[in-house]
Amino acid sequence: MISDPSCSIRNLLATLCALLVLAGCGAKQVQVKGNFPKPVVEPLPITVGVYYSDEFAAHEFFDEAKGRNESQWLVKTGEAQVAFWDKLFAGAFRKTIRIYDLDQLKKRRKELDAVIVPSIQDLQYTIPLHTNIKIYEIWMRYGFQFISIEDKEISRFALTAYGKTPTAFLQSDEQAVNLAAVVALRDAGANFITSFERIPEVNDWLQQRSNRPKTVPAPVAAAATLPAKPPEPMESTPPESEVQP
Amino acid sequence: MMNRTLLLALTVVLGGCVNATVDEMTFNEPTAGVGDASVVILGRRHAADYDTEFDFIECVGDHIRRGDKTIRVVDELEFINSLYPWFEPRTAPMRTQDINRLTDIPPVAKRFDDLDLEYMIWVDGKTIETNSAGSMTCGVGPGGAGCFGFGTWGNASDYEATIWNFTDRAEVGRVAASTSGQSYMPAVIVPIPIIAPVQDTACESLGEQLLKYLSANH
Repeated sequence: MISDPSCSIRNLLATLCALLVLAGCGAKQVQVKGNFPKPVVEPLPITVGVYYSDEFAAHEFFDEAKGRNESQWLVKTGEAQVAFWDKLFAGAFRKTIRIYDLDQLKKRRKELDAVIVPSIQDLQYTIPLHTNIKIYEIWMRYGFQFISIEDKEISRFALTAYGKTPTAFLQSDEQAVNLAAVVALRDAGANFITSFERIPEVNDWLQQRSNRPKTVPAPVAAAATLPAKPPEPMESTPPESEVQP
Repeated sequence: MMNRTLLLALTVVLGGCVNATVDEMTFNEPTAGVGDASVVILGRRHAADYDTEFDFIECVGDHIRRGDKTIRVVDELEFINSLYPWFEPRTAPMRTQDINRLTDIPPVAKRFDDLDLEYMIWVDGKTIETNSAGSMTCGVGPGGAGCFGFGTWGNASDYEATIWNFTDRAEVGRVAASTSGQSYMPAVIVPIPIIAPVQDTACESLGEQLLKYLSANH
């Protein structure tokens, strides 16, 4: 069968137009990515185990479209959260050890002074379409659990973070939301660095440690040579509440 | 030669008009220049409804570098990253006295020493669209494509640079530049943009004043 070439071109153009129209209706997806610097601080003289729950390491935020002019949004922050906090904790503490499961925690217990467990309690965002202001914003609330190796909760505290970025020429909504998320992560780090030591329970615990003669010297050099277990699927990881010595 | 004349004529014709006002109040000028020391220009980003644009800060820095190649202007992003988290919107020093709080942290003090910083210049401001009017219709047909209509919009830039002498921990001057202009886009088949370089003029005005302050040759 021989088809009319003009008809094929018409069909192709119609398909392209339909795709262009439908492209505006699809979900907008952002995989947050950024380069994060190591903090320039005097590290606290403690070795801390860092545990990221499944929920934290794969954190994503989904928002349904509320009207015909709006899009659905899926913002995946988990990977960036882990990359960012790994770097921040590595600068904030003398040494950090990533804890993947309870067995590993038991094995490395002697090397640790405490365990920190971050979580994301809330995330909100706005785009210019919502506010009529030419700014993209992301707001996050983190929860932190700081646990001693004597199985005591030293402190449970919350931190907020805020990031914004103005609209810019040739910048897509996705790029702007990514940038706002990166600014929010950096702000979370700034907030952690400036407030962690000031939390009364943490401060008291640090004071007690500095006054107490250390029975087991911290194995800094030995631990530095231990290869960290590579990231792996976290199905085997116990729930957050179980990760306590 | 003909091509250059044509390009110049097009630039003159297609460039919109910009009004610029520059205010300056400086003292303790470095009469011998900044020497081997460095200068950093940073944007303020703590306001709720705007951020001083990164590209504006880069433009001012480039203007100073072009004007006097002996002045070492540290790249803004590089500076902020190398001193993370002390120059984030939440933590950036707002007064000259706040620098002492930072130099009390040994690794931060070492970074400052390595940079041999003499001046820290804070730029606060933004460029906004003040008005817009007109309409334009574009169409595509079997015979070709084209637009018809007229659009116009206005922009205004308002920036202020505060100069801190890093060694003396003192504010040594303020320079402000305000510019405004109207851009036009008539379209008869082909749209012809006549753009007023509002932000670029603000950058050149502010950069020139800072260059005069910092350079021994200007």
